Amino acid sequence: MDSQFLVSLLMILVTFGLYIGIAVYNMARQTSDFYVAGRNVPAVFNGMAIGADWMSAASFIGLAGTVMLLGYDGLAYIMGWTGGYLLLTFLLAPQLRKSGRYTVPEFIGDRYSSSTARLIAAVATIIISFTYSIGQLSGSGVVIGRLLEVHTAVGTIIGVVLIAFYSALGGMKGITWTQVAQYLVLIIAYLIPVIFMSLQLTNNPIPWMSYGQIVGELQQLDAQLGISEYVVPFTEATKWQFLALMFTLMAGTAGLPHVIVRFYTVSTMKAARWSGAWALLFIGLLYLSAPAYAAFSRFILMTQVAGSSIADLPAWTASWVNTGSLSVADTNTDGILQWEEIVISNDIVVMATPEIANLGIFVIGLMAAGAMAAALSTAGGLMIAISAALSQDIYYRSINPEATESQRLLVGRASIIIATVAAGLVALNPPGAITQIVAWAFALASGTFFPALILGVWWKRANGPGVIAGMLIGLSVTLTYIFAAKYGGFTILGIIDTGAGVFGAAAAIIAIIVVSLATKAPSKETQEEVMDLRYPEGMTYKDGEVWRTDPAEKKRPDH
Amino acid sequence: MKKIDKREADSYFRIRTILITIYLLIGFTASFVVVFFAEELSEFSFNGMPFHYFMGAQGAILIFIILLFTNAIINDRIDKKFGLDQDQKE
Repeated sequence: MDSQFLVSLLMILVTFGLYIGIAVYNMARQTSDFYVAGRNVPAVFNGMAIGADWMSAASFIGLAGTVMLLGYDGLAYIMGWTGGYLLLTFLLAPQLRKSGRYTVPEFIGDRYSSSTARLIAAVATIIISFTYSIGQLSGSGVVIGRLLEVHTAVGTIIGVVLIAFYSALGGMKGITWTQVAQYLVLIIAYLIPVIFMSLQLTNNPIPWMSYGQIVGELQQLDAQLGISEYVVPFTEATKWQFLALMFTLMAGTAGLPHVIVRFYTVSTMKAARWSGAWALLFIGLLYLSAPAYAAFSRFILMTQVAGSSIADLPAWTASWVNTGSLSVADTNTDGILQWEEIVISNDIVVMATPEIANLGIFVIGLMAAGAMAAALSTAGGLMIAISAALSQDIYYRSINPEATESQRLLVGRASIIIATVAAGLVALNPPGAITQIVAWAFALASGTFFPALILGVWWKRANGPGVIAGMLIGLSVTLTYIFAAKYGGFTILGIIDTGAGVFGAAAAIIAIIVVSLATKAPSKETQEEVMDLRYPEGMTYKDGEVWRTDPAEKKRPDH
Repeated sequence: MKKIDKREADSYFRIRTILITIYLLIGFTASFVVVFFAEELSEFSFNGMPFHYFMGAQGAILIFIILLFTNAIINDRIDKKFGLDQDQKE
């Protein structure tokens, strides 16, 4: 056991102690002033909490590496994951908030007055959250694997145990101040290395202003080596793939059940708007830094690691080679490590960067703590979404309506453990890089929930049979395309598996429209409810007339 | 509860819809349109990098953030104009 291991472990334990401490402190307070709790959180802090919820292992660990290896083509992830907030805030959040439902399956079931639709939505929630959590487990495998210097697969097994335990305890979700602390740890851990690297390489402490210069130097280095240049667009895939991936990620963001939920638990419409704006600012801070990471890391690897003697590689390479995510074989046996001979996994770039730049054991430990916060908090939320869908929407509402509270709790707990272990088994040998796995979850969300929610909110003629057909067709088209593209080599316009959402969404939208028009219009009551969503809180539509109501008055059912 | 002129309520809906359409068009231009013309735009340079790269790595995100804050500020004003300011009721 070296000092790095101890420092990293200590940083992880201290930060987790902090989250638990805040959670316990707040729980004690909430019993005394129950009604005020949660309502007086300023929008700025709520934005931070949304940021912590949103940023998973894919953003923290995977993104910069993806941009580094894909160059310009990796930027589709950055624009897609931020642009989705426009769709969410402008097209869905206000209406879903006004509808007063708490979960996506609940909204779909009530809006389309169909328990079949609710059941399909619950199954889709489970599939999407399950896929997403494979990415998180795979991410925790990278961190734990490096920490213990074991193979990533062994790290994943340890991650599975941690996450199952953590989620069964209820996770750390829902407590805003804990999430604020998680956001702060996460963003500080992400920014410190990139600021130091910027100072080392350019003498400028502001990475966002300085990495343009490094990008320019990378262009020259690439030209000398005769490889495709870093900034040249569409070298890895076609332009259509870039556009399709970007659409998939945006539409998926607007349709992810565990993200949407955040927007209808705020106290007022105004708070929802401001929280969304702050959230994107805080999320943007990480996304603006990821390309800087990518440029700096690539520059250091190309200038300081490549070209050195194979017998004399920096010490950090050995520990990453052990995890199976880095290969530095001297394939042409000239004793020198060439750039082409470095094979680095997308997923280790961020975690390896502080070591590559020699930033010291505390920064490396902080990175480990930040990455664990990102992976565990999101995985915890996903597991809770899965267990809620299984125990509430499927077991209680469809299988056993007489189930007692404790029976439902038991089903919920059991489903968390089964889902974590199952996701862990898949993550042992991850079917792709973290960002890629997570992109499949977004593709599934954009093929099912995005069309169902958009049309449910904006088109009153959409009905139950339409949405059932739409979600089933969207889900099958997306799944089929992902598998056909990934394993069968089938592509349209060069669009690969990660861009599958564009076909899923198109098929689902067409299916909902065609089937809805071919079947009976929804009841007058449902149509009125959809009309009502047009108006802000404070105005109520009824029988062709609009009434003024007290916007502060809560009309939501108690849960 | 008191009844209000439906035309007034509809004008709120219309203003919101027009604004949202404008915001989404700007967001669409900053992302999809710029990517579509990436090769052509790479001739220009901004903040030390080719323009298409700048837009993907920084420009689009900044525009999205500005759009959300603009929406929050303008919508607060519209609410006030229509007497829907929620803070006063709290």
